Amino acid sequence: MSTLKVLDGDYSGWRCAACGQSLVMAPAVLEYMGSRFEVELPRCPACGLTLVPEDLALGKMLEVEKLLEDK
Amino acid sequence: MSAPEARQPTASVCPVCLRTIPARRETADGVTRLVKACPLHGEFSTPVWRGAPAFEGWLRPKTPSPPAEPATPRARGCPYDCGLCPDHGQHTCTALVEVTWRCNLTCPLCFASAGETPRPDPTPEAVARLLEGVMRHSGPCNIQLSGGEPTVRDDLPALVALAKGAGFPFVQLNTNGLRIAREDGYAEALAAAGLDSAFLQFDGVTQRPYEILRGRPLLEEKLAAVERLSRAGVGVVLVPTVVPGVNATELGAILRLGVERAPGVRGVHFQPVSYFGRHPGPPADAARITLPEVMTALEAQTGGLVRAADFSPPGCEHALCSFNASYLVGEDGGLTRLSRGGGNCCAPRPAAEGADKAKAYVARQWAAPRGAALPMAGPADDLDRFLARARTHIFAVSGMAFQDAWTLDLERLRGCCIHVAAPDGRLIPFCAYNLTATDGSPLHRSTAGRRTSHDAP
Repeated sequence: MSTLKVLDGDYSGWRCAACGQSLVMAPAVLEYMGSRFEVELPRCPACGLTLVPEDLALGKMLEVEKLLEDK
Repeated sequence: MSAPEARQPTASVCPVCLRTIPARRETADGVTRLVKACPLHGEFSTPVWRGAPAFEGWLRPKTPSPPAEPATPRARGCPYDCGLCPDHGQHTCTALVEVTWRCNLTCPLCFASAGETPRPDPTPEAVARLLEGVMRHSGPCNIQLSGGEPTVRDDLPALVALAKGAGFPFVQLNTNGLRIAREDGYAEALAAAGLDSAFLQFDGVTQRPYEILRGRPLLEEKLAAVERLSRAGVGVVLVPTVVPGVNATELGAILRLGVERAPGVRGVHFQPVSYFGRHPGPPADAARITLPEVMTALEAQTGGLVRAADFSPPGCEHALCSFNASYLVGEDGGLTRLSRGGGNCCAPRPAAEGADKAKAYVARQWAAPRGAALPMAGPADDLDRFLARARTHIFAVSGMAFQDAWTLDLERLRGCCIHVAAPDGRLIPFCAYNLTATDGSPLHRSTAGRRTSHDAP
């Protein structure tokens, strides 16, 4: 499965607080209740810490979570 | 956590005289039986759960939510005081309104008043009064117009409009689909009146189940009804009555047929046979199929397209009454499970919360999808694709076990959320309403105004 951009915003200005490195877009796998979604998210190239921006978490991800939790 | 007791106390009725008697659920070697003894008519033992998922783990505890204003007082106790009485533990999710007792089929298995000359249909004014009563006691719950076969009434579209106009957001028709299949424009007339969903009797993908259960081959008409309802924008739920030796080997094929016809078909709702009417002796164990047997058969007969472990006990009715799972139908026809399978052992939730969720779920899932997916701006990612597909292609698989005089468990009955609006205005849990003793006499359902042998204690 291909990974595709889920974010339109520019996250190149974000730095990892621990490593001081600029975040770069990298493939990430979101898993919830047995379903997998392959996406791209900003990540620290040194420690691998991945940023899930608030608007994604409270937007599309929340919508998908609610569907997966159906009933 | 300790294992649940292998003997759980509950209460039931004697199948012969319908008096309330103590009962217990006894589990041994993967089989749970409801065992009870009447001082006059002896012991009865009936299988209610066989195989996996195991009985012990199939839990979804609820704190009872009694009616805000009970319509009948506590007098003789469950199941005699229905109305609802103060001891009932769950609100109305679906209210059934019987709009006729006539039918255009003569099914040997029917639990609606069979064999006798049916009473006259209730007038539209009487139906309106019943709906007002449901609204007063249960609020804007889901409505199922039932019978008899409702489509024998020429004014059925007007009754659908009446229910919608009374403020019920979801109106479903329980039907054999014959008139819909035969009459051009009828599905459209029902849709125009506001019908959301059809609960379509659908017993198999071959003629044999129809010949045995309904007395005639009906497959072509069933398929035509599915197509016409889907085209008219009425959500279709396929409802097989599952009978061992008749159609229990067709469950997987029915499921596949439904999935192939998604999103017009919204789901399949399996109903294991239960026994109403005259029965000189208890039905044989082999004449019953329990919920876990249906779940296991679905896994085996679909080659794992669905799995028994996918299914969950209900949040609304009693755990032992049903199972359900939701799936996303992929573009390749594959299914992705949405709900988490398995029971929930540890945290009782208020019953009312489950009723509210189930009401909303049924209204959303069993109606036709609202509009096609919108074209997306920009490149779609996995999340976008999932959300777009989910707008139209969620498919529900569920099963519900009705209780008869042998299997009636009063703890389950008090958790019931499917209530029949009786002609006298009382709301009566479905299984209590249809309950008959072995001589065929009913507990609650009135037959042409005649008193029954169970009116007196």
